[in-house]
Amino acid sequence: MDNSLDKPKTDKRVYVTGAAIGIGITLLLIGLWYVQVATALVYINDQEIQSMRTVRIPAVRGSILDKHGRPIAQDIPTFVVNAYLEELRPHFREEWKRSRPAKSLSAAESRQLEIQVRHRVVKRFIEMLQLDQQIAISPNKMESHFTNQRALPLPVITGLSITNVARFAENSWKVPGLELEATPKRMYPSPSTAHLTGHLKRYNYQAKEELPYNYRLPDYSGKVGLEKMFDQYLCGQPGTRAVQVNNLGYRQGESTPVTSQPGSNVVLTLDMTIQNATMNALEKGLKKCGAKAGSAIVMDVNSGDITAMVSAPVFDPNKFTPGISHALWNQYLTNRPSPLLFRATQERYPPGSIFKIISGLAALENGLNPKKLIESTGSFRIGKRSIKDTASPGMYDFKRAFKKSSNYYFIHQAVVEGHGKEHIVQMGKQFHLGEKTGLLPEQETAGQFPSIKRVRDGWSEGDTANLCIGQGEITVTPLQMALMTSAIANGGTIYHPRVVDRIQSPNPNIKENTIRFRRAQKRSQLLIKRTDSLKIIREAMFADVAEEEGTGQPAMIPDYNICGKTGTAEVKKPGDFHKITWFVSFGPFEKPKYAVVVMVERGVSGGKTCAPIAKEIYEVLIDQKRNGSLAGK
Amino acid sequence: MNFLTQILPWNRVDKVLLIALFGLMTFGLLFVYSATYNNELFSSSTLIKQPYFKQGIFYLAGVTIAFVLCLKDYNQIARWAYVFYWLNITMLTLVLIPGIGSMRYGARRWFDLGFTQFQPSEMAKVAFVLALAQFLSRPRRELSDSRVLLKGIGLAMLPFALILMEPDLGTSLMILPTGLVMMYVAGAPWGFMKKLVGGATILTVLALAYVFFVPNEWKPIRLPDHQKRRLMVYFGVDYAKHYAGPNATNTEISRARALQKQDSYNVVQAMISVGSGGLTGKGWKNGIQNTYGYLPRGVAHNDFIFSVIAEESGFIGSTAVILLYGTIIAVGIRTAIRSRDRLGRILAMGVVTMMFFHVFVNIGMNIRMVPVTGLPLPLLSSGGSSVICSLAALGLLQNIKLYQKTI
Repeated sequence: MDNSLDKPKTDKRVYVTGAAIGIGITLLLIGLWYVQVATALVYINDQEIQSMRTVRIPAVRGSILDKHGRPIAQDIPTFVVNAYLEELRPHFREEWKRSRPAKSLSAAESRQLEIQVRHRVVKRFIEMLQLDQQIAISPNKMESHFTNQRALPLPVITGLSITNVARFAENSWKVPGLELEATPKRMYPSPSTAHLTGHLKRYNYQAKEELPYNYRLPDYSGKVGLEKMFDQYLCGQPGTRAVQVNNLGYRQGESTPVTSQPGSNVVLTLDMTIQNATMNALEKGLKKCGAKAGSAIVMDVNSGDITAMVSAPVFDPNKFTPGISHALWNQYLTNRPSPLLFRATQERYPPGSIFKIISGLAALENGLNPKKLIESTGSFRIGKRSIKDTASPGMYDFKRAFKKSSNYYFIHQAVVEGHGKEHIVQMGKQFHLGEKTGLLPEQETAGQFPSIKRVRDGWSEGDTANLCIGQGEITVTPLQMALMTSAIANGGTIYHPRVVDRIQSPNPNIKENTIRFRRAQKRSQLLIKRTDSLKIIREAMFADVAEEEGTGQPAMIPDYNICGKTGTAEVKKPGDFHKITWFVSFGPFEKPKYAVVVMVERGVSGGKTCAPIAKEIYEVLIDQKRNGSLAGK
Repeated sequence: MNFLTQILPWNRVDKVLLIALFGLMTFGLLFVYSATYNNELFSSSTLIKQPYFKQGIFYLAGVTIAFVLCLKDYNQIARWAYVFYWLNITMLTLVLIPGIGSMRYGARRWFDLGFTQFQPSEMAKVAFVLALAQFLSRPRRELSDSRVLLKGIGLAMLPFALILMEPDLGTSLMILPTGLVMMYVAGAPWGFMKKLVGGATILTVLALAYVFFVPNEWKPIRLPDHQKRRLMVYFGVDYAKHYAGPNATNTEISRARALQKQDSYNVVQAMISVGSGGLTGKGWKNGIQNTYGYLPRGVAHNDFIFSVIAEESGFIGSTAVILLYGTIIAVGIRTAIRSRDRLGRILAMGVVTMMFFHVFVNIGMNIRMVPVTGLPLPLLSSGGSSVICSLAALGLLQNIKLYQKTI
């Protein structure tokens, strides 16, 4: 038959074809090897980019604690209901089918309806939970989340009450896609520390170079105060969550490759019992005389540690998270006296008569005989000017002049007896007047104090007269005065003030990383030529409170010897005349422990306005000491 | 076995072919399942509508048909080749008529049988191979007659044209090179082959040049836009330049770019699937591309099944698949070599060549070696027509082995 084969030619063609097919298969294998082995990483990376979304998870912020570990600022959990969109998706679709009208919709209408549908579904499910809180997100907000952050759960109710948390637990099985989750919120239990701790603001990601996250959960950083100063310790390390998404951007799964590390705790020298009592005393005192602004400081005279430091009026730092309302912020900005100002360090005031501690010390050092009597005529004449004296005319030695706060005596010593300008300026310099203390670098003013050069040139006797009674070219902060009082009390040591004791791990078992700020850091020591100068001042301060005629008598407490000095500085501005009233003090006289400084803007007088406030503070200090020692036994 | 040996020469059944087939069908079931278990279209439907279950049924049906085709000597079957051929040509014509052929994705390729769809072009490929083998099996010297050769070319051109009209460029293009190889194996004169290949090459180049470089308004006939864009994706033509021109506004350019992104989406995702599988793959049912829907759900279990296999079983798995096809092809070539008659040899080579082109084009498009065309991967892609017709063709191959005259 012809059908039989004519070898070998056809065989060769079959072989050629077979070889060609073999080459084709080899090509495929090479191609696959190239894609799947040689360059696989490229595609693995591409896949990750399209299916992975990284989320920055903020760490729990460290707490700010008082010396006994009580919270001054801390993150507390608040409860949020989160909607998981990928689980709600089938319900969105169902609702969409149900509510689609018969007529066909334009693209825009259809989109609008979709937004409504999604909101309606979530709202209905929330109603099924039987909470007394409603959906807290508008359709448009929800849509924006849906468009931009579909992979993330959508918080639909924030700040759930405890009752609602219980109700959620009871009813949540009825509804899909809603979960109860806890998120931290910054809490400041006491408003008295507002100025010291400062407040937070929304974290600004653009400002810092960071990993390129796809999404970031809201985070906060310190805006002012200790929250800002110690932000790097408080903030902790953010974590990363990796969310896998499908082609439509819905969440499919997630993992946490980097867990967040909570921030460290900042432990202060503050005692919240004293702090709150100081605030109460100040506010009560302000109310009594109709004043609105003031400051009070309690300091350990032997270390410069701050036990309490308050300023009035205050703002509420709790209002700054998650975000302060425009209206409230404007109110804070425009209200007078400003609640944002930390009056203990941030504002400068004329010291008035409390400065006689320095001018008196300068005169004593310069050889003033404290026993020598001077006759006061009731007003001191310099050129055409006459400086009136609130102290009555009569014979004055140093102690009587000090406790009655005689302007005549001190001006006489400075102007007539030659214990004047340069001696006062040098003594003021020793107390670091006109210099910042460095406690709160961004919330501190240096005050003003004339230099030696200034008083040598173009300085009149009138200026000297003003200076020696704490008026004129001199302003101070309450903190500076607390340090001055401490130095008088402790025998002449000026300390660096300290408010932060240590920074420690949030885990109480970890001690290694604790950063300690040393106690009682000396800034300088007063150069005293006459050994009893400080003693004379202390005795005069004791007399001011304890003896008759003393201006500080309202501060007197039986069985506790307080030493003090009142001050009432006059501020004359066009159309505004007011007084800055002071009471600086320490106690007990025998073995000084605390310095208490009270300043009130627009008070009546140092003795009438500030001394009673200080007295209340001492009472709490004494009370606490008694209770503390009882508890100790 | 007794029963089998009685009805066909069982001891001559190619066991290697059976093992390779079994291997591929196992891959098919596993990965059609993996490609669809997460698909919302199917997840709620009954077992009988699940693609992997249907695939199993098709395998059974296809194996049965292949078995039936092995009961009679291929020489006897081939006598019906032209009848079968014309029957298929009739179906290819009928499917083009609206109301008879059903329309999907802008093409009229299917008969709707209610429980499933039947794609006549799949069967036509088998019919064409059988008919051309029968036609070319005539004494070799007759092939020197150019009229005979032209008739053979006509035999190829008819289904080619009809399938192209559906339109289904991918399937129709399978016909021509298969026919060419069959003519070559049959022993068409070398000079004629050279002219044919040369002519085809020139025509292809001219066609491409026509598609790309002749402005649209000058063209009397235009390639369907989606086909043209597939070619543009393959050749990496910048849409912005091609569509928008030099004076384009920004919106026009961005629209063109968006279109380009959309058109290259499948192939980009397929490449990510294949490449991210790496050496060992992510494990069965763990392919992210497929389960997360990046690989479009509509094509993951059929035209792009290889992406799923490659992602989940890695280079090792894709090599295994290719080696299984290689085994089947090698068995086919050995059958052709050992065949003692022209029909057996040409038919075996026809089946092998058709199979190879499908595998090469389908897998090639996953790794961008070949432009994307809607072409199934034989035995693996989900789809009744393709599975059954592939098995039928392999049944013919087995038949040749069973009944070939040995020396």
